[in-house]
Amino acid sequence: MRRPRWFSFLALLLVFGLIAAACGSDDDEGDVAAEDEAPAEEEAAAEEEAPAEEEAPAEEEAPAEEPSGDIDSITVTGPERDESEAGAYQEVLGAWGAENGIEVNYLGDADWEANINTQVQGGNPPDISMFPQPGKLAEFARDGHLVPLSDGAAAATATNWSEAWTVFGNVDGVQYGVPAKADLKSLVWYQPAAFEAAGYEVPTTFDEFTALVDQMVADGGPKPLCVGIESGQATGWTYTDWVEDMVLRQHGPEVYDQWVSHEIPFNDPQIVESMDTVLQLWNEDTVFASSGTIAATAFQDNGQPLVDGDCFMHRQASFYSAFIPEGTTFADGSEDAVDVFYFPDIDGSKPVLGAGILAAAFNERPEVHQLLEFLSSPEYAEQRQTAQQALKGGGDALSGYLSAAIGQDPSVYQPLEQSFLDILANSTIVRFDASDLMPADVGAGTFWTEGTSAVNGDKTAQEAADTIEASWPS
Amino acid sequence: MGDVISKVVSTLITVVIAVGASAGLWVGANLVFNQVRRDWSRFNAIAYGVIGFVVGAILSGNRLTAGSGKGDGRLEEFASWVWLPLVIGIASAAVGFALSRIEDPTPRLVIGAVGLGSLGLLSGLLLREEYRPDVDIGPLVGWTVAIAAIGGGISYLRKRPPICGVLIGGAIGWILGAFGSPDLGGGSAAWAAVASLVPAAAIGVRVSMTPIPDRERKARIDQSSRAVIFLGPALLFIFATLVVPAIRTMYLSFLDNDAADFVWFDNYVDTFRDPISWDSSDWTNMFTSWPFIIGVVLLVIFVLVGTYTKRTTGKTVELGSASMAPLVIGGLFLAFGVFTALRGTIVNNLWWVVVVTAFSTGLGLAVAVLADNVKFEKVAKSVIFMPMAISLVGAAVIWRFMYVARDSTKTQTGVMNAVWVGLGKLSTGSGIPTIIVGVLVTIVFLALLMAVARALVTQSYARAVVPGVFAILLGWFVIRYWGIFGGGIGGQKINSAGVVVGDPINFVQDPPYNNFWLMVVLIWIQTGFSMVILSAAIKAVPTELIEAARVDGATPSQIFWRVTLPQISTTIGVVVTTLIVLVMKVYDIVKVMTNGNFGTQVLANDMFQQAFQFTNIGRGASLATLLFLLVLPVMIFNIRRMQKEV
Repeated sequence: MRRPRWFSFLALLLVFGLIAAACGSDDDEGDVAAEDEAPAEEEAAAEEEAPAEEEAPAEEEAPAEEPSGDIDSITVTGPERDESEAGAYQEVLGAWGAENGIEVNYLGDADWEANINTQVQGGNPPDISMFPQPGKLAEFARDGHLVPLSDGAAAATATNWSEAWTVFGNVDGVQYGVPAKADLKSLVWYQPAAFEAAGYEVPTTFDEFTALVDQMVADGGPKPLCVGIESGQATGWTYTDWVEDMVLRQHGPEVYDQWVSHEIPFNDPQIVESMDTVLQLWNEDTVFASSGTIAATAFQDNGQPLVDGDCFMHRQASFYSAFIPEGTTFADGSEDAVDVFYFPDIDGSKPVLGAGILAAAFNERPEVHQLLEFLSSPEYAEQRQTAQQALKGGGDALSGYLSAAIGQDPSVYQPLEQSFLDILANSTIVRFDASDLMPADVGAGTFWTEGTSAVNGDKTAQEAADTIEASWPS
Repeated sequence: MGDVISKVVSTLITVVIAVGASAGLWVGANLVFNQVRRDWSRFNAIAYGVIGFVVGAILSGNRLTAGSGKGDGRLEEFASWVWLPLVIGIASAAVGFALSRIEDPTPRLVIGAVGLGSLGLLSGLLLREEYRPDVDIGPLVGWTVAIAAIGGGISYLRKRPPICGVLIGGAIGWILGAFGSPDLGGGSAAWAAVASLVPAAAIGVRVSMTPIPDRERKARIDQSSRAVIFLGPALLFIFATLVVPAIRTMYLSFLDNDAADFVWFDNYVDTFRDPISWDSSDWTNMFTSWPFIIGVVLLVIFVLVGTYTKRTTGKTVELGSASMAPLVIGGLFLAFGVFTALRGTIVNNLWWVVVVTAFSTGLGLAVAVLADNVKFEKVAKSVIFMPMAISLVGAAVIWRFMYVARDSTKTQTGVMNAVWVGLGKLSTGSGIPTIIVGVLVTIVFLALLMAVARALVTQSYARAVVPGVFAILLGWFVIRYWGIFGGGIGGQKINSAGVVVGDPINFVQDPPYNNFWLMVVLIWIQTGFSMVILSAAIKAVPTELIEAARVDGATPSQIFWRVTLPQISTTIGVVVTTLIVLVMKVYDIVKVMTNGNFGTQVLANDMFQQAFQFTNIGRGASLATLLFLLVLPVMIFNIRRMQKEV
């Protein structure tokens, strides 16, 4: 009879152990239990309850004096969690750590946008986080959660990256962020062979581009464009990219900057004009949407129809190579190879819409800033590219990674990626994705949702812009 | 690997210690209270000693007192932590022991006041410099008087001498006024001593005023203590994890989005002003929308039928009367008309509540009744109950695949659109399948017409209603199918080149009816729940009642409406309220299927986005509070009803 009891006790222990392990608590278990009983007794001693009051002020002042983790390990978190991305991070950062006697762990988090807030508010941020949104970085920096770069890291960042990029990690004159990745967004993916067969030429101005679209519609063959803006939580961001590209082209970088910093309202006629231009470009005749409508088509699902010949062009960022079906070759002149051309501009100023990832630190530990210094370096870019390309399968596979660090060896990149680097090098006007710079309410909120409503035809561009303007935090 | 094992081992050791300590505390508490009846002095000494020790441990353990945690050796350090709790514990044990022996009120008063007061003085003098309060007389007096008054009031209401409450309240108020309101640090040692002496002495006086309990009172203390020992940990847990966060959320809802300044009700006002939450700009569309018109027509029919039944039965509407169906269905259509014209998060939530609750309860009841005592009852119920086993997220993913729409030139992969577009192809095609399906449907339609005709000839008009309704619906289908009017049925259209192509429906993206397609998912899940509960209730209806009704010549439908339904009305109430609470908080389905896009936003998802994605703390908290307030009345109603049943 004794055995079962022992077993059930053991089982209970195990359950508690699992719960405790899951909670990740280290030593507060005992304290909780101890405090558990004390008030019970005090309540029981009915009238003597009052001394408990003395606890209240006492407990409030209990200082949080937990040591800030192990000294010899650095935790890096970020939204990139693809096997090749997270794998390359871990490989490169881990190797750097091994050299310096530090354990570096990269944690890719699918829900990074929400979780980083919780971690910071809970007083338990990672050592370093990778920010795809400079707006978020600036917010944390202004609230005093982020630590400015050490002098060494700041100097390294200034030498390794051009000011066009470092400025995104600069908050009120203080450098907080290190650019660690660059994406090029003003690109159009197409099949040169398909263009050739139909007798089309790559457009060099925006007017040529629209003329080409009209020509394709008139020819009655495949649709000119593949567009899909569905992206789960982030549905709508593809539309915002198009709008940003159009604002840059139609109204120039100054208006773009005013728009981002809210010096002009979101429903300014110039912005509405750009929103409208995109909406007019997208209609049933011009767009192939593999899921019926643009709003329902996942942005990842545009690679297949492009290769299948359901459409001629797809405007999307440099990382889109990851979504082109496997087995497709890139820019090697073969029959069904896929290539890109620069999304043409209007006045020849060649503006480029970029995006990227910035690393920033939540504490002052010197080794953390050494790691940031490494993240800014061309060596990091080369190692990351090599590692990620290998994880993608090696050969002539595209890694999906791109860096604009000065001094990196371009030969680690594939030919197509080298052409991205050329575009980056030749542009003087680089602007960061506006929705990533705006407050999250707008940039990751209404700009996406209202944009989606507009694409879906539920609202006009004006109505959508009015709602977005109303949601801009005061 | 070794790393993992050592972590597991250390966790297990911690757990053993924690469980052992909790169990020890629990057993110890029981043993202590065993002493209440056996030896009052011993109980008093132990209880006072433990409380004194705990208070001392809190002071010393949080380094509030000078010297704690300082020492050269391990032993010395330990001693520096533990001496104060021990001293306070032993001293209060002595006070407790004395109070349990001396019956004369005056010495009791002196012992209580001096004993506890001196302990307060001691802690005050030991208080570290950075915690010494810089006391302001104004707030100190204010707090003391205010809380003392409250304490006195409570005592008065509980029919005890007010002085008891005044003393305790005064002590609490004094502590709040002395330590809570001013800045800590920078105060003088004298003030620190006074600040802790006064409340301790007040508590001493209060404690000594309670006379030594007689046998009966001891028994009562013993008894009530067991309840507290058993419930204490659970209540503490609920308090820490539910009550405190709820109060904090309400507090946050009055702060701005950075949780810095008070904005009071601005967050709530903003919520109602925001067109995303409440958009009535198109309300006039209501009157031209087809559900509204159908609803009005049905209500007109209700009035006509109602006046007719009033003439024969004396009531315009009653359970199971011919006028009830148009009333209920018309009401639902009317609601659809209203909800599709008014838009916004709040409207969507109401729409969810009305539709899901009505359909889940109605369908669940229908299944429970119709499947009662038929051969395949168990199989049918199991199948309908099965979706309950699927998580909301899982169900949402499944249904998203069901609703998928593909480009009209591609094969439809979503079940719904495959059927819809397939029907379109069939109705516009000219092959043999088209003719077979068409002929079959037409035969069924003609059979229904025959049934209606027979019912009309025999003048049993009630029997004509059901086949009549179906005949109308099917007739419309047949006319469209053969293309007599409107050119075919189903998902097809003729493109600019004159070719028939598929025309899929974007179930999830087309507002406002996409809301309804999302609700279908929850109805699909929850119908099983209401079916099981209602089925159990129906089976519990006494058979004598039903047999008596049958003997009296009641028809099956009369038995259902007049005997069964009134018997299970309380259960229906429980099902409805449970569903309302559940639906009000709907989150998972919307999150997975649209994430609030395309006009499907609901309060819970909006709250999550505001609070955690946009870090608008105040706005998020106000939405959470709003949701809580909306659910609250239903919860209260539900709990009251449950208590009544018990």
